This record gives sequence, structure tokens and C-alpha cells, in this order.
Amino acid sequence: MGKRILIVEDEPHIAESLSFILDRAGYDVAALDDGAQALDQIRKSSPDLIILDVMLPNRSGFDILRDLRAGGPHAGLPVLMLTAKGQARDRSAAEDLGASRFMTKPFSNAEILDTVSELMAGG
Amino acid sequence: MGRSLAGTRIRERRRALGLTQTALAEAAGISPSYLNLIEHNRRGIAGRVLVAVARALDLPPAQLAEGAESALVNELREIAAQMPEHGPEEAGIEEMIGRFPGWSRTLSAQMRRIRDQDRAIAALTDRLTHDPFLQESLHLMLSNITAIRSTSNILETMDDIPEEMQSRFHTNIHAESVRLSEAAQSLTAYFDRAADTGSDAVTADEEIDRFLSGQDHHFPTLDAAAEAGGDGILARTALLDEVAGGPDSQVRVAVGRVLDRYFKDARAMPLDRFAEAAADLDYDPAALATAFGADLHATFRRLATLRRPGIDAPAFGLFIVNAAGHALYRRPVAGFAMPRHGNACPLLPIFQSLAQPARALRRRIALPSGQTFDSFAATIDLAAPGFDRPPVLEAAMLLRAVEAGDRSGAGGPPPDPVGPGCRVCPRADCAARAEPQLLDPRTA
Repeated sequence: MGKRILIVEDEPHIAESLSFILDRAGYDVAALDDGAQALDQIRKSSPDLIILDVMLPNRSGFDILRDLRAGGPHAGLPVLMLTAKGQARDRSAAEDLGASRFMTKPFSNAEILDTVSELMAGG
Repeated sequence: MGRSLAGTRIRERRRALGLTQTALAEAAGISPSYLNLIEHNRRGIAGRVLVAVARALDLPPAQLAEGAESALVNELREIAAQMPEHGPEEAGIEEMIGRFPGWSRTLSAQMRRIRDQDRAIAALTDRLTHDPFLQESLHLMLSNITAIRSTSNILETMDDIPEEMQSRFHTNIHAESVRLSEAAQSLTAYFDRAADTGSDAVTADEEIDRFLSGQDHHFPTLDAAAEAGGDGILARTALLDEVAGGPDSQVRVAVGRVLDRYFKDARAMPLDRFAEAAADLDYDPAALATAFGADLHATFRRLATLRRPGIDAPAFGLFIVNAAGHALYRRPVAGFAMPRHGNACPLLPIFQSLAQPARALRRRIALPSGQTFDSFAATIDLAAPGFDRPPVLEAAMLLRAVEAGDRSGAGGPPPDPVGPGCRVCPRADCAARAEPQLLDPRTA
């Protein structure tokens, strides 16, 4: 059984291609498109890594990250944040909230795979 | 005779005619000492005194009228205040206007242009940084590109993908390409609309000002429609066609609001009857509001646009702001620099009126130049009736210049000292000062 990744991303085609390449790379992938359900899903499925979009319906990626880092068994999970906004203030907000990595769209599949692999290895 | 200050022109003309001050004062029915003050530009001249002096000098009164010059003096003082590093001689402004009126107007026009451009740049920067439509469009396009890039990369680099997945990925790429094209088209259309205003006035406020001053704030077709009992829609549409921008542009919406109010006022206070009543009631806004059953704001608006070819009424200025001090309407009057960018003198009665909206104010105010105005200020709440809603306040101030010979304020309290805005206001010990006068005449 591969390590588990939860993708929280509301753009279905991005979520689909991410799921496909990560699945091919041997990970066990689940995807979710609603920010409000993210924390529940994390508690239920206990993933090893989260790929989290910033702009999500109902609850932003920043809010999810803040609550996740606030405590509990999953507070230390590696989180890779994705956003279409490359602005410096988003990056610094993500860092302040404790994102493990921050990637701006558009990214390449190779970048995603490399970054996920590093984070899984504890990098 | 050039466009120098009225006092300077009177002095030059008097000397050219070989008249003494005493002789001219006597002919005009004023005291020689008062004429002396006028000639040295230390007192304004208007109304009956202006007409009498002009007649004694054998000149049309318009040639002596004040207004343009005092606005020019204010503009040049503001230029001096903004660029003190060049050491502009503020004390020489009036002399410069007298000697080089054309150059003075050119300098002033340049300054207005620079100020407008500064505002336009700020507005455009603001738009690029904060415009929600642009942000949303760019976000959408980047998401489309990400999906296309990621999916096509899978198809290009992996050769053992099941046929049904390949087909699905192709469909996804196509769908994202269509969305990307639509987003790009809507962005292009957005910029086209912005560029299509057909005017170099970038901000909506400038465009509104430009349209209203181009019409001199009069809309005879609306007056005629109101008089005929019509609904004014044709006249309104024809006027709005002259305004730049699409039907929903901020400028057209704002101008439409001005036109709607004008038409409503014209129906409530038909022009001829209003002009007659105004003259009978000495242009008293409260008496006119009572006579026509109108509110004070409507009466202010009607008075501010009353003077026109064929109607010999006093010149009124009108300034309307919201509770945040944003200028919503500016009907200029000679001798008073209408605030434009939220840098108004906080002592103006219009701001006192916002603090006590239920009470209309009538105050005589004095500018540092000595020019005095009667001001009438009132505030209304535009919020729809309801409980616990924040008020939407709009304050209006009507201004009428006090004529030189007017003794109506004699014996009463002294006029309230106000100014043209802190940066160019010479009042040193003012408790309301918000920023220093950049060029203090005592240190220049």
C-alpha cells in the first residue's frame, strides 16, 4: 500500500491529472473539491501528505491550514500549497501559517512529483 | 488691456483716463479709501459697485469682473506650495498674473493636467492591483493553463495510458482550451471597454465634471419637458448620449442621477415661476423651499443652476459631499476654489452640517483673501426607511458671494474664517490644520 495523499482542489481537470500522475507514481490518492469538508476528511483518512489549493469554495486553503496547524494528531502533516496567485503576500501568508511548500500555477508534473517525493522523505 | 487682477486693471484704466482716485470714487459712489483697497486687490469687487466703477471708467462690467483671476491666484499658490524647492516667489504671484497673464494661465493649465494625470495613474494602478474582475480572470486563466499543461504533459510523456483515459484527457484539454479562450476574450473586451471611453479624463469624477461644466449645469430640454408635463425620457436619453462610456458606466450612472434630480426639481419648481419667486424672496433658500413645498437640497440645486442667459440671478456655487467627504457634485462660483480631492477645509459649514444633520445652517464665511460668502448647508439621509440601518448622508452647501457694498452682516457676528485647503491656506494658528502650508510666506 502506497503512502496516502489528499488533494484538495476545486478545478476538476487539475485534480484529475494530479491524481493520475501521483497514482502512477505509486501513491494512494484521494481528491476533494470542497474546502469545508477538508478537515473532516483529513481526520477520517489520515493522509501522509496534503496538496491544498488556496482558493476553494466554502473555506479557503489558508483557513484549513491554520486549523490543521492549531493542534491535533495531524498538526504536523506536510502540506503542499497550490495557488494561481503568485503574489509575494500569498507566499508569505502560506509560510507564516506553516505550509511545507508553496507552488504557483502553472506548475509542471515533474515539479509536483519531485516536491511530493521530497516531502514524503521528510524534506 | 490684459487679464490682470480687477484692482490692477481699474488702477491702470483710471490712470490712462487721467482720473484721480477721489474723482473715480465719487463718480462710482464709493469712498476713496474703499477704492484704494480695491485698486490694490485687497478687496473684491462685484455687483452694483462693479457696475458703477465700470460705468465711470467707460468699460463693460465683464471686463472688470473678478473670478477667473482669484482662481488663478489659488492655482499658482498651489503650484508654489507643491514645488518649494524651486523657490517660487509667492509674493509675486499677483504681479506675475498682471504682467504675464498668458504664461500664468499656461502654468496653471499644466498644473491641472499633471494633477489629473497623477489621479489617473493612481486610479489605473489601483485598478490593476485590486480590480476583482482582473484578479478573477487571471486566476481562471492560470487554472486553465495549469490543467492543459499538466494533462498534455501526461499524454506526451506516458505511453501506456489506457485508451479510455487518453480519450478522457483529450476531452479535458479541449474543455479547458475553450474556457481559456472565453476568459481571454472577456479580458480583451474588458480592456476594450476601458479604452473606449473616448476621453482623456480617466477618472469618473473628472468625466462627470467635464460633462456638467460643458453644459454649464443647465439642461433646457429637461426644463422644457417638465414645463410641458412630459416624462423627460427623450431629453434625458439625448443628453446621456453625449456622455462617454457604456450604458452601465459609472459616469453615465452618475450623470443620469444628476439629470433625474434636475428633472424632478424642474417639475417641482418650474423655471419661470421659480426665477420670479426667487427674485421676490431675495433668493432665500428656506423661503423658496417653503413656497414650493420642496426640500432644501432641491432648492439649493435649483438656485445653483438658475443664472443663465435670459435669467439675471446671482451666481451660486454648490458643493455636495457624502459622509466620507467624497465630492459628489461641484458647481463652481467665482472666488471659491471648489475642493476636488478630499482636501477641503474642515471648517466649511458643510462638514458641520454632517455632524448635525437635522439642522440646516446659514453661516457667513470668509476666505483668507477677505472674500466673503453666505453659505447655506443641509444634510439629508438617502437610506431607504427601515430600522437599524446605517444612514447614507449627503450634505450640500450653497454659496453666494457677499457683494462689496452689502451691509447685511453689519453688527452681527464676524464671518467664520475658512480656507482653500490647508496646503495653500495662510491661516497660521488654525486648530483644524491637517497639514502644513508648504510655502509659508513668512519664511519664503
